[in-house]
Amino acid sequence: MTDPHHPEPDPLAHAEVQQASVIGYVAGYALTVVLLGVALLLTQIHGIQPVPLLVTISGLAIFLLVAQSMFFFGLDLSRYNIWKSVSLVLTVPLFILSIGLTVWMFHALNGVMAMPEMPGMSMQPTTLQ
Amino acid sequence: MDAHSHHEGPLPPMWHYGETEHDPISTKTLGFWLYMLSDALIFAGLFAAYGVLGQPMDAAGGPTAAQIMHPIAAFWQTIAVLSSVLAYSLATVALKTGNRNGVLLGIIAAIVLGLVFLVLEFSDFADLFAVGATPDRSGLLSSFYILVATHGLHMMFGILWMLVLIPQIMRSGFNTAVVTRLLNLRLFWQFQASVWVCVYVFVYLRGTIQ
Repeated sequence: MTDPHHPEPDPLAHAEVQQASVIGYVAGYALTVVLLGVALLLTQIHGIQPVPLLVTISGLAIFLLVAQSMFFFGLDLSRYNIWKSVSLVLTVPLFILSIGLTVWMFHALNGVMAMPEMPGMSMQPTTLQ
Repeated sequence: MDAHSHHEGPLPPMWHYGETEHDPISTKTLGFWLYMLSDALIFAGLFAAYGVLGQPMDAAGGPTAAQIMHPIAAFWQTIAVLSSVLAYSLATVALKTGNRNGVLLGIIAAIVLGLVFLVLEFSDFADLFAVGATPDRSGLLSSFYILVATHGLHMMFGILWMLVLIPQIMRSGFNTAVVTRLLNLRLFWQFQASVWVCVYVFVYLRGTIQ
């Protein structure tokens, strides 16, 4: 394994090791704790309508995921990180498809199934009639 | 190949023609990153299942999401998991200068805080079990437990990984293999913070919204 002509480079000098940053990690930690605290407070004060509240806390979560990808994972377009960034960008549509389409489809189905006695619907012949 | 072997000027950003040294740290961290993305897709499936089965009618007459979620108590879990991730991340800052005691201290702090998280999670589960909110009660509870417990299982394996790495650091020091494992564990551990953000917001906080 050890080649005398090519001594093993110092692993601690590698860019993956040297990208660790106190400021970035503390910033990621503080942002996450503070913004999740804000989201918790928003759900505890019972003055906001459910839909705007859900949109707001979902936005906070997505913002935090982006912030963590930079502050924790150190994603950027540098030579050592670009393939991580690219593979994440290519995976995001899979998250949207698997979660978004599933929930949307069942949500739409819920609306159809929950209202069988609607006057408009009862006039349409179905296989059950 | 030969036409490019004496490339001049700055290196191209993605491709390096000619003689390149094998870089085991970069290849293994990229490989682990790709594993992490596939692991994230497992969570995507579980979140999709919870998104479908987390509706009030899926409570099947049993406790609803609003009755089993305690977001203020779960905020302590948020602080525990984030602090554990911060402790491990700071351990890898100590790794930059080869500070062995700093690395070990950060890992031990991360283990302790990770165990605090697990104790809080298990006591929350125990309280739910005590009032009959067991996974077999309804589809809502089944999907809730499998999602939250899958994250907890990841936390357990991360702690196990740290316990395995401590003797490796003490025995071998920071050689390429140990440094690569430390970097991949940082990725794994920080990923648990990202998953928890989703669990906390889309399960615990959303559960309280009527």
